[in-house]
Amino acid sequence: MPGLYVHIPFCEKKCIYCDFYSIESFRQYDSFLDALHREIAMRADVLPHDIRFHSIFFGGGTPSLLTDVQLGGVLEALRARFRFDDDAEVTVECNPGTVDAAKLRGYRAAGVNRLSFGVQSFHADDLQFLSRIHTAEEAEQAIGAAREAGIDDVNLDLMFSLPGQTTERWMHNLERARALGTTHLSCYSLTVEQGTPLARMVARGMVTMPPEESDADLYAQTMDTLAEWGFEQYEVSNFARDGHVSRHNLTYWRHEDYLGFGPSAHSTWQGRRWWNLSSLDRWLDAIASGCLPEAGGELLDRDTLRREYIYLRLRSEGIDLGDFSRRFDADLVADNRAFIDRCLSGGTLQLADGCLSLTREGMLLCDAICAGLE
Amino acid sequence: MDTTRNFCIIAHIDHGKSTLADRLLESTGTITERDLKMNQVLDDMDLEQERGITIKLHAVRMHYKHGDGVEYTLNLIDTPGHVDFSYEVSRSLNACEGALLVVDATQGIEAQTISNLYLAIEAGLEIIPVINKVDLASAEVDRVTQGIVDLIGCDPSDVIPVSAKTGVGVENIFNAIIDRVPPPTGDPEAPLQALIFDSVFDPYRGAIVYMRVMQGTIREGDEIRFFYNDKRFEVEELGIFKLQRNRTGELTAGNVGYLIAGIKTVADTNVGDTITHVKGGAEKPLPGYKEVKPMVFSGLYPTVSDDFEDLREALSKLRLNDSSIIYEPETSAALGFGFRAGFLGLLHMEIAQERLEREFDLSIITTVPNVEYFVVMKESGERLPVDNPSSMPEPGKIEHIEEPFIRAQIIVPSEYMGNIMKLCMDRRGVYLNTQYIDPTRADIHFELPLSEIIFDFYDKLKSVSRGYASFDYEFKDYRESDLVKLDILLNGEPVDALSSIVHRQKAYDWGRRLCRKLKELIPRQMFEVVIQAAIGTKVISRDVVKPLRKNVTAKCYGGDITRKRKLIEKQKEGKKRMKQVGAVEIPQEAFLAVLSMED
Repeated sequence: MPGLYVHIPFCEKKCIYCDFYSIESFRQYDSFLDALHREIAMRADVLPHDIRFHSIFFGGGTPSLLTDVQLGGVLEALRARFRFDDDAEVTVECNPGTVDAAKLRGYRAAGVNRLSFGVQSFHADDLQFLSRIHTAEEAEQAIGAAREAGIDDVNLDLMFSLPGQTTERWMHNLERARALGTTHLSCYSLTVEQGTPLARMVARGMVTMPPEESDADLYAQTMDTLAEWGFEQYEVSNFARDGHVSRHNLTYWRHEDYLGFGPSAHSTWQGRRWWNLSSLDRWLDAIASGCLPEAGGELLDRDTLRREYIYLRLRSEGIDLGDFSRRFDADLVADNRAFIDRCLSGGTLQLADGCLSLTREGMLLCDAICAGLE
Repeated sequence: MDTTRNFCIIAHIDHGKSTLADRLLESTGTITERDLKMNQVLDDMDLEQERGITIKLHAVRMHYKHGDGVEYTLNLIDTPGHVDFSYEVSRSLNACEGALLVVDATQGIEAQTISNLYLAIEAGLEIIPVINKVDLASAEVDRVTQGIVDLIGCDPSDVIPVSAKTGVGVENIFNAIIDRVPPPTGDPEAPLQALIFDSVFDPYRGAIVYMRVMQGTIREGDEIRFFYNDKRFEVEELGIFKLQRNRTGELTAGNVGYLIAGIKTVADTNVGDTITHVKGGAEKPLPGYKEVKPMVFSGLYPTVSDDFEDLREALSKLRLNDSSIIYEPETSAALGFGFRAGFLGLLHMEIAQERLEREFDLSIITTVPNVEYFVVMKESGERLPVDNPSSMPEPGKIEHIEEPFIRAQIIVPSEYMGNIMKLCMDRRGVYLNTQYIDPTRADIHFELPLSEIIFDFYDKLKSVSRGYASFDYEFKDYRESDLVKLDILLNGEPVDALSSIVHRQKAYDWGRRLCRKLKELIPRQMFEVVIQAAIGTKVISRDVVKPLRKNVTAKCYGGDITRKRKLIEKQKEGKKRMKQVGAVEIPQEAFLAVLSMED
């Protein structure tokens, strides 16, 4: 079943490491919301009416800048044009510095049932380095507010491998997150993306990224610790308690279809992928002139789909060999016998119940393993 | 014939030979300034222009009206400027009666210039010394003039100061060529003897032979033969060189020109061979013919084994153009099917390799270059040539191994003599003697194993002399040396393409450095890679490339899928450029690791 994504491209302040599309000017905030409604209508007109979605995800940018009324308006527009499961997962990414209990109560009333907080760290100096606008206290208050508002499904984003980060400091973050009792954790290694302020800082020697060894140590420790605490790792960076996995994110990793709205949003639909114009101005212009705001697209042929499937599945739940052979009319193990054998004996891959998946060691080497599979 | 002059230019790289040649062509109206554009006319291969060296010989005819009112025909024969091609130089010198000796006024005489000068004197050429770049502030005209006077024993007034860049003094060069270089001799009625000094390949016409008629006359339709290989052809076209070929129908004694005769490959036209008529031809060839022998050998393998046939095709096309390359198929356990190729020298090898990649769009792996050894066997006493370390017989069966030695000449400011001595001794050199060209410049002679100079000797020489040393060498003889075969093992498996032959005393150091360099060049992979250097079964050095610890994209959501897929594809591409030997991926450059080894 497909998922649906809405991109809200505004931020009070861009973070130094972020390479998602966002702008710090709110001048076109109102026209953006109007155009978003139009895009939803335009897209719905060219798609069949009976499609049922299992999830909606508001990402950004900072979607939590939207008031409950604005957010409710968008959800209403979506419900008017598309069909959703009764228990569809509706997630909003929140910057802890932008929400309070009242707003979250409003979100809840509008239908939001899952929140994802970009906490990143509970250390003030880390937050300052990452140029986050919130404090550790605000993060804790926001999570309390979520609970107060009746939203129990809460994710925290945390970041490791920050420059100079010790094991102790990282473990402290994990402990604080555990103490808050959230159902889901996303733990990312800080990655230097091209074109970000962080990349420039590294290039100029102002910041030194931790070496591969310590990055690997922190990651391995994260996997071990969270497993011990009862979290299930269902993707490279994602951990859930008591089955509270993100259905929306599984859409991507299971290689299912998704529709995206807003500047820079991507969609994959029945073998075609397209991406919207990422500049807000151009996205607005396109919609104003009655055009779908696509910037480009590609047809996914079977070979491309096969490569994506391997990459996405392997980094999450593993590759069901039966499903693979049905989809691609091919035998993955036979096609990669020598390499898979080496990985199995080297302890990076495991094969159980017809499912080929990464071991804990394999998670550390996910990309290298994918690059070795044809 | 009295109004013809055949001459060449002898100069060190960067001393302005090409610029001077351009200026001569321009002054005689052979070309216009527009033709010159930004490029020098005589070097027309891309590679030559990039490397600023002349690889192939060319020739061009100019007309010059002398002060005496007579129009003279001046044939300029260009010579390659690198030591790898010294035999070709000697042949083109034999096609001339005179030589311009061009010396940079800011640098002075270099080793290359001297060895070519000796070749010119040997060939009986009239030498016209020219000091170039006199317009530069750093020119030391007096000192350099004195050096030339000491070297060739001429009068200081014979040395012509010029600036090829500004054109100053160029007229004097023409006058000197006409007045001092003797016109060619040779009876046009005598039996034909024409010297081949170069040939190029034209896809439509076949091999085009560049030659100098020493005696006799050759006409279109003549039946000719080459002395050395006794091949026979009918002459289709004869002519001279302007900027393009200029058909004349006949060439007589003293002329320089080209010949087209339906010759399929340049391999049939040996530089130095003599052309004569089938009927009524000369009895003897011209003296001085030598078969050009490759000095440096290396394996050439396609990075992707499927490209083997393409590589074969490319090599055969390359050889149409450059007959000094030899090759034969060989098989490596590590690299699969490929070729063992022989080159005149390291530069020649690099040029060939680059042309293969560039002109034929091939990705190739070149193995460590080596010289040709002779192995004398214990039992049979046989003397086997070995041009590939992996075909070296078992040590127990070897009586001894012989390696080629060269005689090197190094010219260097005397303050760097100590450094040069040390470098040559480190390279197992045998000191011969030192002469002084002038009070500040020494001319040092050494005998060195060729294997010690084919890698980085020239670079080292430049770095220990701050770029001032110049170097030239000639093959001397084969000598017995205490050599061993050094193997490289990756995860316990010997990689034949990484084997090398080294002197026993240097083997430990060599093995250690090679392991360290390989450790640097082999990227971390999913599994540990153990690198070992071994002589026979004895491991003398060991290094480890630790396995990758972490290689995973942290974030992957909707918008990222296309981009992330492309990142993985890029990673796959990178793997494909590497050679998979067992479970180890080896980058191309690792096979040439010895070339970039540090001390």
